[in-house]
Amino acid sequence: MMAIRELKVCLLGDTGVGKSSIVCRFVQDHFDHNISPTIGASFMTKTVPCGNELHKFLIWDTAGQERFHSLAPMYYRGSAAAVIVYDITKQDSFHTLKKWVKELKEHGPENIVMAIAGNKCDLSDIREVPLKDAKEYAESIGAVVVETSAKNAINIEELFQGISRQIPPLDPHENGNSGAIKLGKPATQASRRCC
Amino acid sequence: MCSPEEEALLRLEEVFSATLARVNSLVLLPLLETTPEPSDPQGRECLRLLQRLHWSSQRLWEVTEESLHSLRERLCHQDTVGLESLMLLQHAERVLQAHVEYIESYSSCVVVQAFQKAAKKRREFWRGQRKALWQLLPGVSPEASVGTVLAQALHQPLAHHVQQYVLLLLSFGDTAAEPHRTRELVVHAATLFVNLQSFLRQALDQALATQALWHSLSSRLRDGLCTPERRLLQDSQDVPVTVTPLRAERVLLFDDALVLLQGHSVHTFDLKLVWVDPGQDRCTFHLLTPEEELSFCSKAPQDRMVWQWKVTQAVCQALRGKKDFPVLGADLEPSEPPTCRCVAYTFRAEGRLCQATYEGEWCRGRPHGRGTLKWPDGRNHVGNFCQGLEHGFGIRLVPQGPEDRFDCYKCHWREGSMCGYGICEYGTDEVYKGYFRAGLRHGFGVLASAPRALQPCKYTGHWERGQRSGYGVEEDGARGERYIGMWQADQRHGPGVMVTQAGVCYQGTFQADKMVGPGILLSEDDSLYEGTFTRDLTLVGKGKVTFPNGFTLEGSFGSGAGKGLHTQGVLDTAAFPPDPSSTRKRQLGVGIFPVESHWQGVYGPFRDFVSAGCPGDEQEALLGFHVQNSRELRKSQEYLCCERTQPEPCADRMEGILDELLLHREPRALRECLRKALSNSLHPLGKLLRTLMLTFQATYAGIGANKHLQALAQEEVKQHARELWAAYRGLLQVALQRKGQAPEEDEDTETRDLQVHGLVLPLMLPSFYSELFTLYLLLHETEDSLYSQGIANLSLFPDTKLLEFLDVQKHLWPLKDLTLTTNQRLSLVRDKCFLSATECLQKIITTVDPREKLEVLERTYGEIEATVSRVLGREHKLPMDDLLPLLIYVVSRARIQHLGAEIHLIRDMMDPIHAGGLCDFLLTALESCYEHIQKEDMRLHRFPGRWDSREPW
Repeated sequence: MMAIRELKVCLLGDTGVGKSSIVCRFVQDHFDHNISPTIGASFMTKTVPCGNELHKFLIWDTAGQERFHSLAPMYYRGSAAAVIVYDITKQDSFHTLKKWVKELKEHGPENIVMAIAGNKCDLSDIREVPLKDAKEYAESIGAVVVETSAKNAINIEELFQGISRQIPPLDPHENGNSGAIKLGKPATQASRRCC
Repeated sequence: MCSPEEEALLRLEEVFSATLARVNSLVLLPLLETTPEPSDPQGRECLRLLQRLHWSSQRLWEVTEESLHSLRERLCHQDTVGLESLMLLQHAERVLQAHVEYIESYSSCVVVQAFQKAAKKRREFWRGQRKALWQLLPGVSPEASVGTVLAQALHQPLAHHVQQYVLLLLSFGDTAAEPHRTRELVVHAATLFVNLQSFLRQALDQALATQALWHSLSSRLRDGLCTPERRLLQDSQDVPVTVTPLRAERVLLFDDALVLLQGHSVHTFDLKLVWVDPGQDRCTFHLLTPEEELSFCSKAPQDRMVWQWKVTQAVCQALRGKKDFPVLGADLEPSEPPTCRCVAYTFRAEGRLCQATYEGEWCRGRPHGRGTLKWPDGRNHVGNFCQGLEHGFGIRLVPQGPEDRFDCYKCHWREGSMCGYGICEYGTDEVYKGYFRAGLRHGFGVLASAPRALQPCKYTGHWERGQRSGYGVEEDGARGERYIGMWQADQRHGPGVMVTQAGVCYQGTFQADKMVGPGILLSEDDSLYEGTFTRDLTLVGKGKVTFPNGFTLEGSFGSGAGKGLHTQGVLDTAAFPPDPSSTRKRQLGVGIFPVESHWQGVYGPFRDFVSAGCPGDEQEALLGFHVQNSRELRKSQEYLCCERTQPEPCADRMEGILDELLLHREPRALRECLRKALSNSLHPLGKLLRTLMLTFQATYAGIGANKHLQALAQEEVKQHARELWAAYRGLLQVALQRKGQAPEEDEDTETRDLQVHGLVLPLMLPSFYSELFTLYLLLHETEDSLYSQGIANLSLFPDTKLLEFLDVQKHLWPLKDLTLTTNQRLSLVRDKCFLSATECLQKIITTVDPREKLEVLERTYGEIEATVSRVLGREHKLPMDDLLPLLIYVVSRARIQHLGAEIHLIRDMMDPIHAGGLCDFLLTALESCYEHIQKEDMRLHRFPGRWDSREPW
């Protein structure tokens, strides 16, 4: 039997960029053996094979509204990965993305895998954010980057495969029964200040 | 026609009756006429015996008259009245009894020479009666003394009469052949009276031998030993025997006692407490008595046989309490005396039992079984004994002081000292409930001072050889302090935490009751001091203060007389106010004593119980018991029983309990089974839980309700859950073993954690909930009050305004199917929006089970989604962008008090395996709402153009 690793993934990004659409697409497109309980589109799970492991993504959505930003740390604590979504047709959303990256670097879990998703690539004719910008930025922070279309189911699979690849494999010497969750356990961040 | 035998019998009875009457008037009545009343005790004794003889003579006469009457009846109505109606046949036993009584009272008179003494007293009178007396006894020689003649007159007619009875009955037997039953009766009666002849002979022999013995002994010995009822059964002068270790010169076996004469000293042994043990060789045997072990040695084996047989039979007879009939040892019952007997005895030898009286069950010379032991100084022990020592449950009363005050120990005992669980109520009104070993407090125990003592004090913790040692909690009522920590030799020693009534608390290292070195001091306003300080909380020496606003003061502190606190150091005002969550993390006691070791004294006995294979009779000693009305029992010495709540025998109940466990191993059944076990105070698991609750309350209730103890308490509850699960597993293994089934394999950590968090914790949490929740309340007081302000402010908004204020997208508002007038809509809308979700969420406080709380939460999300789907007319999966505002709306409308405490308690009690999963998400979302409501704009923001309910909108 393959080991199941539970990986908590949180979704960040402005409201309206299609965070949950990406996840809905990812979760619903494929038949999943275990019908896991969900909370609407806010909490979903999906298990995918990766090498000799199974990665069970526990995907936490967050509220994108500006006023709820300060609540985000509660959601991303303990995450193995963060998917930060922007809308290629909205420059502002790319700006917000940068703010998220900065925050995660400062206050997020150590070794968190970051994946950048430029959503709505089906609307490239009204694009505001060039792919090159995104790629350059992603490279500078060591993040996975893809342009996706939740509507047309483009690159969704690839996005999560990218995350899987970035997750360090389990150290066989380590007593890792719940894997990444333990890795990403919040250190006692006593000095963390709300942003 | 009547048979000649019957006529002969009639004549016999007539003659006997007349003889009895004559003897009565000629002998007995004059014997009783003693004026004045004898003044010496012996004379009075004689008179009493003669009165008794007179009375039994009367009884004998009455029986004879009855017999006569039955004979005459038979003579008159021969055809209708059968032979079997004769008194002699039909009621042979009654006739016999009258004879036996007469013989016994007569022989008693013989033993004390009552006739001789009486004759001497009224010599003149009897000389005048001489002629009449001699007429009564034709065969007596004229030289015989009056005493002898009197004795003969009272004995001879009876002996003759019994002999005639036997002859007549035997000839009856030959003639009366017809109905079988009659013949049986005749044979039966004949046997009885033949036996009576033997009885009479033996009684007379014994009486004469005894009388001769008394005659031969010195008057001092005689006075000491002689009683009219006592009979000599064997004398070492007749059959020689030597007794060691007492080296007696003479051994006398009486029917009630064994007497050893050795010079002037006399050793008497009650036969009821003599056990006969066969010896190693043919010439010895041993006697066990409560205080001596005697060896009987004879030169010839047959002499040993005689003595051993006689003693054995005498013991049997003494235990039966009546004379063997017809002769000693002739009983049909087994002639071996029982090894277990019930007798009272007062110990004489020096030692702990000197002068103490034991009344109860014995076995082979030792108290064994249930009994009562009373010392002359008023000490008193009721309970079980084993091999002469207190063993098993027992109640000991020890008088204290002049008043009617006692120390009362209701304990389990082992080989004479307290061992296992016990409850001791002292004369000082102190009470100790806990474990003992070798008579001293040892293991877990609670010592509480008198309820109304001037300096109330209570210690809950571990003991070692009578002293407080190990982990323990002491509450000092007078100082208003509670110490939680390590003890040694009755003193605080090692790491400890002190909590005070005033809310100040500190942690440090103690040595010989005093705090040494630096510690951590926390005041109620959230200031923190790390450094050295004294017990009355004066800062002395080096240290660092962190104020609630984040400022720190580091330096050396001191206080002079009248100058207050003075310090030299650096004040750092640059720091930011500390994060509330970091202040919350200031928890005492965590890490300084490992949680596993806190209550070993409670878990330990349970483990012992399990490893011993759950012996039912040890259950109480190991797991404790409950006593009803303990105060009342102690007040008087008339307690004698201790109403322990124990309706059935322990062993059977234990069997039932274990079977029950085996029957319910499927998850659902197991849950119910455990629930029942934990709520039953007689179940081992229930007992364990109760003791744990006791320790928890002693630590965290009252003064201990301090927010800085929350982490310690929370860890302890989880540890208890782990231990309870281990306890259940232990019982299960024993149950399997008893049924000869293979034990369960050890479970891995993950399965165990799952059972502990998923099964045990929810079941046991209610028992600790009130104390635990109080700690969470205190810890989250500040945020909860901000949250309450937020809720209060948001409640001023009408529903639609609130939805708007929270940026809930308009298309999700549940308004469009309402087609009512403005006013109606107003009131309805106020109550209607997401009402189902709100009501659902409110149910979170109806349970203490964290899993159930999470289920409530999940249903709440479901309700929100259902409402939205109805509004939109299609299924809609809410993304967080939409869900969070709605959730904040629902939370603010549900107005749950102390939500912060609730959330953190749920999170702490949640299985860590759920981290990142659904439960975690549900709780995090709720927590984020809680955080959001605390924000300034939620608490203080007013909706633009304040709501006025009179204006339509």
